[in-house]
Amino acid sequence: MPDSQYDLVIIGSGPAGSTTARFAAQHGLKVLLVDKRQELGAPIQCSGAVSRHALEEVGITPDAEFIHEPIYGFGIYNGRGEKTTIDYRRLKPEEYGPEDGKKPLGYVVDRRRFDRYLMTQAERAGVEVWLKTEGLSYRPDANGSCEVFLRRFNQEIKVKARILVGADGLQSQVGKWAGLRTHIKITELASCLQFIVDQVETEGLLEIITGHEWAPGGYAWVFPKGHGYAEIGLGVISTMTDKDAQWHLDKFIRQSFFKDRFENSRILEIQGGGVPLAAPLRTQYADNLILVGDAARHVNPITGGGIHTALSGGYIAGNFLAEFLNSGQPPTAQNLEGYQNAWLEALGNKMWKLYGVKADIFRNNDIEERDALLYQTMAGYFSPNSEYKKI
Amino acid sequence: MSKKEPVIFAIGWNACINCGACVAICPQEAGFISPFDTIAVDRPCDIACLLCEDICPVSTITHKRA
Repeated sequence: MPDSQYDLVIIGSGPAGSTTARFAAQHGLKVLLVDKRQELGAPIQCSGAVSRHALEEVGITPDAEFIHEPIYGFGIYNGRGEKTTIDYRRLKPEEYGPEDGKKPLGYVVDRRRFDRYLMTQAERAGVEVWLKTEGLSYRPDANGSCEVFLRRFNQEIKVKARILVGADGLQSQVGKWAGLRTHIKITELASCLQFIVDQVETEGLLEIITGHEWAPGGYAWVFPKGHGYAEIGLGVISTMTDKDAQWHLDKFIRQSFFKDRFENSRILEIQGGGVPLAAPLRTQYADNLILVGDAARHVNPITGGGIHTALSGGYIAGNFLAEFLNSGQPPTAQNLEGYQNAWLEALGNKMWKLYGVKADIFRNNDIEERDALLYQTMAGYFSPNSEYKKI
Repeated sequence: MSKKEPVIFAIGWNACINCGACVAICPQEAGFISPFDTIAVDRPCDIACLLCEDICPVSTITHKRA
């Protein structure tokens, strides 16, 4: 049997992989999207916050299928509990609100349903999707294509692709196959834990609690999760504390200025993850290969947010690759640098700038000064006048 | 840099939340992973940087000398 031949094989069907796949297929490419999991989105390693703008920008209509709860703004706290409220229902009441004709600022989504929804959209655009299929390796061949070795329900399969897209997350193996420098520093990967809880009130705001006392190197959060549930979590940088994230989360729940609010909380789910507060990968391409999403470290270095950046990156990658392959250029590393350049121009340069802001804050060794800087930066970041609003 | 003794990791599966942070921080070459998407536990790690133990949000990774 001859090997199946695709324009793109994409490993990983998270937001970045499925969005890359959808836009590439819409432009006529033959795309295979594989994921090793049996159920997308799980295990959940993410809080699920995403702006409405981020969805609409990539042609996704907010849908009850995947929305837990609409969001209207932010509550940013310093370590002592002083608060800056950025509620767009009050700032721009004619535009934002729950009433007919008004809109939310963003959403907290159910990652299982969200990721499946995005994959469905890709599938409907003509993408072939294989679940329970893991990538094993790839090898550029003499004809300018590459062979991709997969294992699907225990069966080893070789397919041919003109370009392999690594969308396999922070734990990316695809980037390592290509010898890209994917290694992240321990000082830039936040160790995160969150509980989905009952009996904690929220009011349509993403609440972010800064301060070394509660989350050294990162921040804590309280997000609305729909149906009266909330999400309480935090991320810490492990070189800045002797304790683990679990210890810090327990302390935050029992001892912080929110202890009365959390008093009756009941844990419904436990989730965790590593969140990069880091710069994007310096090189996100190789011969016959590019990386997108977390695999390329397309994550906001200030907020740790990665859904918007994954969707935008997927949009850029899908469109670029379609135009690129349709133009007949050979997919050498040199030529594929164009993808990274397009991404830098649209998004990446702003992320590098944000990384500079973040690095400056944590270069300060005076805890009080650093706490004040982080609080100001977070409050400024989410304000309506922020230059980074669209990241 | 001093040469470190290889180690074999053990994961307390009861506490593991499958967050993937250990794999994300791991500087090993591709494939140093378990079927449960953690760092590998069936072969020695000759780097022995122990960053996976540091990053684990629930401190459920330990090691012994290989």
